[in-house]
Amino acid sequence: MAGSSLKSCVRMTDRKANDSVPTAGSVAQQGIAMNTESALEFSQPGLLDRLLALDSAGLDTLEFGVIGFGADTVVCDYNAYESKMAGLSKDRVIGHPFFSVVAACMNNFMVAQRFEDAAAAGQALDFTLDYVLTLRMRPVKVQLRLLADPGAERRFVLVNRRL
Amino acid sequence: MFPVVEDDLAQEHEALTQFVYMAPAGLVQARIDGEIVMINPVAAQLMMPLSPDGNLSNLFTALGDIAPDLRSRLADFAEPQGLVCDGVHLLAPGDARSGRRLFSFSLIKLDASRVMAMLQDVTVQAQRERLLRHQEAWLNAILTGVADYALINLDARGCVTEWNESIGRVTGHGVDVVGRSLSVFYPEDAITPERVLDRLHEAEHSGWSLDDGWRVRADGSRFWGSAMIAPQRALADGRPLADALAEAEEAVYCLIVRDMSGLCEAAEEARHAAVRDHLTGIGNRRAFFDAAETELRRWRRMPRPLSLLLIDADHFKNINDRHGHPAGDAVLHHIAGQMRATFRQIDMVARIGGEEFAVLLPSADLASALRVAERLRATLAAKPAATDTGPVGCTVSIGVATMDDRTASVEALLKRADEALYAAKTGGRNRVCGPAALPTEAG
Repeated sequence: MAGSSLKSCVRMTDRKANDSVPTAGSVAQQGIAMNTESALEFSQPGLLDRLLALDSAGLDTLEFGVIGFGADTVVCDYNAYESKMAGLSKDRVIGHPFFSVVAACMNNFMVAQRFEDAAAAGQALDFTLDYVLTLRMRPVKVQLRLLADPGAERRFVLVNRRL
Repeated sequence: MFPVVEDDLAQEHEALTQFVYMAPAGLVQARIDGEIVMINPVAAQLMMPLSPDGNLSNLFTALGDIAPDLRSRLADFAEPQGLVCDGVHLLAPGDARSGRRLFSFSLIKLDASRVMAMLQDVTVQAQRERLLRHQEAWLNAILTGVADYALINLDARGCVTEWNESIGRVTGHGVDVVGRSLSVFYPEDAITPERVLDRLHEAEHSGWSLDDGWRVRADGSRFWGSAMIAPQRALADGRPLADALAEAEEAVYCLIVRDMSGLCEAAEEARHAAVRDHLTGIGNRRAFFDAAETELRRWRRMPRPLSLLLIDADHFKNINDRHGHPAGDAVLHHIAGQMRATFRQIDMVARIGGEEFAVLLPSADLASALRVAERLRATLAAKPAATDTGPVGCTVSIGVATMDDRTASVEALLKRADEALYAAKTGGRNRVCGPAALPTEAG
């Protein structure tokens, strides 16, 4: 890429094209996951409905971070995995606005804007992107999966550690 | 008792963690080579959209596109600890909706192995402060002690209407200056006829127009001065300005040329530091985009030739890898020096990325932009940079674009120049390409 300020835009478009495609490995894992009732996988299709069906204890069994929030961005779900990674207990997070108090790092056009755009257009959102979170102030490479549906009260940000 | 104390400590630790999570400013602690050790959410929020590699592993890499001179600033900072830069303004691209953002960035050297950085989005504050600065400029223009000033009446075309003693004193011009354009007070390459009209229009529009820079006396000697133009609203007979414009003979504007030779150099130095690239001394990214926005506004009001060059050092990474970063820096310095020697004073010459430069050429059409670009290319191809490891040759590829009706924004013009630059790169480098991607002669 030759030039100037256009670099970052081009990079993100490139990634967008690739990152929703499940790898062969993850497809195989989904097959296994389907057999056991609660072991949901980060990248499996149709995940939003499965998450909505789980209660707090059910979300705590998952091997990836789950943050659920309403249209007003106030956090209603914060699972054990995410709580451990971030070093914050649930009661410090639940009931607080997600993008301003809990996860300011996602309050930009790469994450927060996508939820707003989907809601404004009345469309469902299922988008996965590479990101860096500041878990306990360490830069940690993660994959984020953004899930929302106009018919669902809760929206989710899922967090999966990248190696 | 101990478990209770431990529990308290854990609680405190968690509260402290959340305190830093919620801090409304971006905070980063890094090793001296830029490797990020700790970073809080606001820093990630601001830096993630900028990071060229999509990671936040290295502070200098993540900010490389908007602050390419950070690494060299830190390297040149000789003190064992202290403030390397304090609230420097960095211009970030932003997205289509929110537009460009202005960040305030501070870097503190903690010791030989650690730095701390603070980053804040100050876009809104900057807009507010700009208004205050204008008022301050007014006060400065009136109150600052100056060596001398000349009061000059101009007609609607910006030509001197009458001679007075102050003109003779400050500029050395005699009565023969009457009827000549105000450009007579500027060095030859520092103003164009279009720019004269721009200044008059801006004075008309906002009540005044002020610019600082080199001025020239009748004998050709130069002095650092400012020129302020203000419209003479209250004409003696109370007629509206439009009527007066019709009679071009009459004085319509007032020009005050102030000799600022006596002004404190440190104040000038500080003013320049904000708009200058630390490594090369030419304009920085922010200065470039400010100038480009201004020129585009002028173009929209009155279309005239306006061209843009994007210049990229060829195989620059190889130079860094083979000869080391100091040699790479010397090459960038060399390119900037040749650019300064090649372009006019009125041209905005800037470093806008690591090895990327841009030049904005007011009143230059495509043909002359291609010509001057080719001259720069040929000079750099023939003249290697002097570095500590010996002479290092570095050619450049140049993309040229020119304003037309289809171009709506600075970004659009940049994009077209970028496409031409891409054509020059893929065409074999060391060449200049115009909009039609027709290469001029290769080196």
